[in-house]
Amino acid sequence: MRRYLTLFSTFLRLSVLGELEYRANFWVQILESILSLTVAVGGIIIVFDHTATLGDWSANQLLALVGVYIMIGGVITFAIDPSMQRFMQDVQKGTFDFVLTKPVDAQFMASTRQFQLWKLIDVVLGLAIIGWALWRMQAQITILQIVLAALLLGIGMVIVYSFWMILGTMAFWMIRVDNMFQIFNAMFVAGRWPVNIYPTGLRAVLTFVVPIAFAVTVPAEALIGRITPTTFALAFGVGIGLFVVARLFWRYGIRSYSGASA
Amino acid sequence: MTTAPVIHLHELRKTYTIHKREAGTRAALRSVFHRETRDIHAVDGISFDLEQGEIVGFLGPNGAGKTTTLKMLSGLLYPTGGAVSVLGYEPFRRENAYLRQIALVMGQRNQLNWDIPAVDSYEVNRAIYEIPEAQFRATLDELIDLLDLADLITKPVRNLSLGERMRVEIAGVLLHRPKILFLDEPTIGLDVTAQRRIRDFIAEYNHRYNATVLLTSHYMADVEALCRRVIVIHHGQLLFDGALATLVERFSPHKTVIVDFAERVALSAEMDCYGSVVKRTPDQVVLSIPKAAVAATTSHLLADLPVSDLTIEDPSIEAVIEQVFNANN
Amino acid sequence: MSEWLAIYTAQTKRAFAVWLQYRAAAIIWMIGFIVQPLMYLVVWTTVAESSGGSVGGYTPSDFAAYYIVLMIVDQVTYTWVQHEFDYRVREGEFSRLLLLPIHPIHEDVADNISYKVLTLIVLVPAVILMMWFFNPTFNTTWQNAALFVPAVFISFWLRFFMGWVLGMLAFWTTRIAALIRMYSVIKLFFSGRLAPLTLLPPVLFAVARVLPFMWELAFPVELFLGRLSADEIWLGFGMQLLWTGIMFIAFRLMWRRAVRRYTAFGS
Repeated sequence: MRRYLTLFSTFLRLSVLGELEYRANFWVQILESILSLTVAVGGIIIVFDHTATLGDWSANQLLALVGVYIMIGGVITFAIDPSMQRFMQDVQKGTFDFVLTKPVDAQFMASTRQFQLWKLIDVVLGLAIIGWALWRMQAQITILQIVLAALLLGIGMVIVYSFWMILGTMAFWMIRVDNMFQIFNAMFVAGRWPVNIYPTGLRAVLTFVVPIAFAVTVPAEALIGRITPTTFALAFGVGIGLFVVARLFWRYGIRSYSGASA
Repeated sequence: MTTAPVIHLHELRKTYTIHKREAGTRAALRSVFHRETRDIHAVDGISFDLEQGEIVGFLGPNGAGKTTTLKMLSGLLYPTGGAVSVLGYEPFRRENAYLRQIALVMGQRNQLNWDIPAVDSYEVNRAIYEIPEAQFRATLDELIDLLDLADLITKPVRNLSLGERMRVEIAGVLLHRPKILFLDEPTIGLDVTAQRRIRDFIAEYNHRYNATVLLTSHYMADVEALCRRVIVIHHGQLLFDGALATLVERFSPHKTVIVDFAERVALSAEMDCYGSVVKRTPDQVVLSIPKAAVAATTSHLLADLPVSDLTIEDPSIEAVIEQVFNANN
Repeated sequence: MSEWLAIYTAQTKRAFAVWLQYRAAAIIWMIGFIVQPLMYLVVWTTVAESSGGSVGGYTPSDFAAYYIVLMIVDQVTYTWVQHEFDYRVREGEFSRLLLLPIHPIHEDVADNISYKVLTLIVLVPAVILMMWFFNPTFNTTWQNAALFVPAVFISFWLRFFMGWVLGMLAFWTTRIAALIRMYSVIKLFFSGRLAPLTLLPPVLFAVARVLPFMWELAFPVELFLGRLSADEIWLGFGMQLLWTGIMFIAFRLMWRRAVRRYTAFGS
């Protein structure tokens, strides 16, 4: 366990070192974060110019959702996506062999090797928006609500991670897996709005095919104190289930990669 | 001293099943319903043992099964049949205790981070192999000294030349002082000086740590300098396992005789009676002569012609190897 | 004339073959294309329903018609050349293009045409599904439909030259990707993607009218839906032509300088 913590912090530190080589990217990222903030907040302003609630979400509640959306997006691009890209490249170029010859869990190594430091700006921005939204709501936020929201945010990240891991594992058999990540990215923008406004079929897709509902809407619901025990239990179950599935699928992938199951 | 072999292969086999795919739309459509498969026997029953401290050259043409064998030894591939054990472990289980004692180097593939200095990437290896600080420092200093890395490891890897990059790569792989080294074309693409550096280093590492090295290379200079023993495979099967000198003896029943003339000899002068002519100029001729006939032929040559110098050589190892493969095709 | 036809036929065929190689990537691009209008359609439908059935003169069925037509116009007039320039300049691809005896822009036009054909594979089922699902209402007259065709045609060229002008900035800056993202965010607000422009606050609407973006997208869409008066229609065509002219002149001026710069510095 200790070893894995050391390893994690080493990978993180090396990624930071690598990225400091390209300092100008910092300003580009600042610009990009401002742009995504503009789109999200601008959309809310224009929509709420014409209505008081959107599918029983008020403007401030929606702002909190946007905060969660930007933050989760930041976590994905900061920690999950870079390692997956690297992993797929490694499989294609054959350098994944080096990972397999190391006395470390290969899934751990494949999912922690690369970070994109400046994307943390989005995480910070997302948290700031959440704080701003809560302040505007003047809500009596209970400790319980914060704990629940933090817990569900964690579960949301586990779900997104497991989902990406499952897609990434397909790289053992397919060449252009990155296309599937593009589909996810294209659909993820839909998470900027609460999934319950979408028509039933689409909502099912955004909940179970691409788990945006659990990653964004559910934690935001917890934040504004609207979570039901059923939703909580469901999110928890989906989180654990998907993580286990991802793990089993990965091991199956490794076995197939080394020709054990063929 | 242990006498048990550190690497043991018995009738090791690896078969890949590939899907046959014919050109054309028709065949593509047909393959949707019925896919024809074909088995490729990449490694087809290979047995050998390696003792601790040996450096063994693993030779064979492209596609002979060298890399597949190395991958099975390092736990990357699961054997189809036969037995393999290294240091008493079955590699394909990929137990941490095993992986801690081996290292794999592939000449064409890098594992260091491109953007940062190697010395920072080495920290990853320290964490992965849980190398104690003191030992890490000592090993690193030693490697810096042996491979002359002092100026290299603080520069971003992308700024290094190919040869320099290979040196820092190798240092990274050896930080945990592996007992077994699998080197797949470690000198590929390097210039002569860089090749010699790597070669000298491998010899030194083997000597210091009594490490076992299995090496593939297309450069016979590597093999000649490092390996007393070679294992030759072709089409997934073992052709030869023994001393390098024996290989030459066994597969090349000829010697090369180079004759320099004191005066120009007419190009028309009959030479075929002495042996087969490899090369010929007005003042030199190179002949390939069966070993048994070398003594008699040279005395004839000396008697018949105005010879100023005469040398007898073994054919180049490249030539021998080529002959081995050709004979088995 | 016939040699141009031959060049274009050959280029389009080649481009089509290339696109077929990357069909998976192409289809994913198109999914991205559908998600955005679908998302804003859902948002505005929800708003209309909660505001007593209509907002700013749009019922849910009107929104459906608006976003379906917007999706079609956007696809038909779409150009991605601005994304290519960075790569072309950096990787020396321009050296190849400059060696050709015809202007490189023709290759892009051909590329675009073939992509549009491929687009139909995804666009047609998407439109049918959305028609069935969202019950759009159209108040389109024959005149609207007839005028829609030249409006879309001009819009294509306007976007095409704008794409080239934007892309050519890659000759002067390496940060072109960031510029393009800024450009697409501005476009999101002022072209009618985020909302029909009459729903924007008056200040933003005034800004939108002087920028080129509403004329390349919102104008043909509203024209087709019969939402524009005769005066507005003529103003729209005037603005389209004006902006296309400006972009064409900018394209000519920049191209000459860009080539001079490229040949002077190499790559």
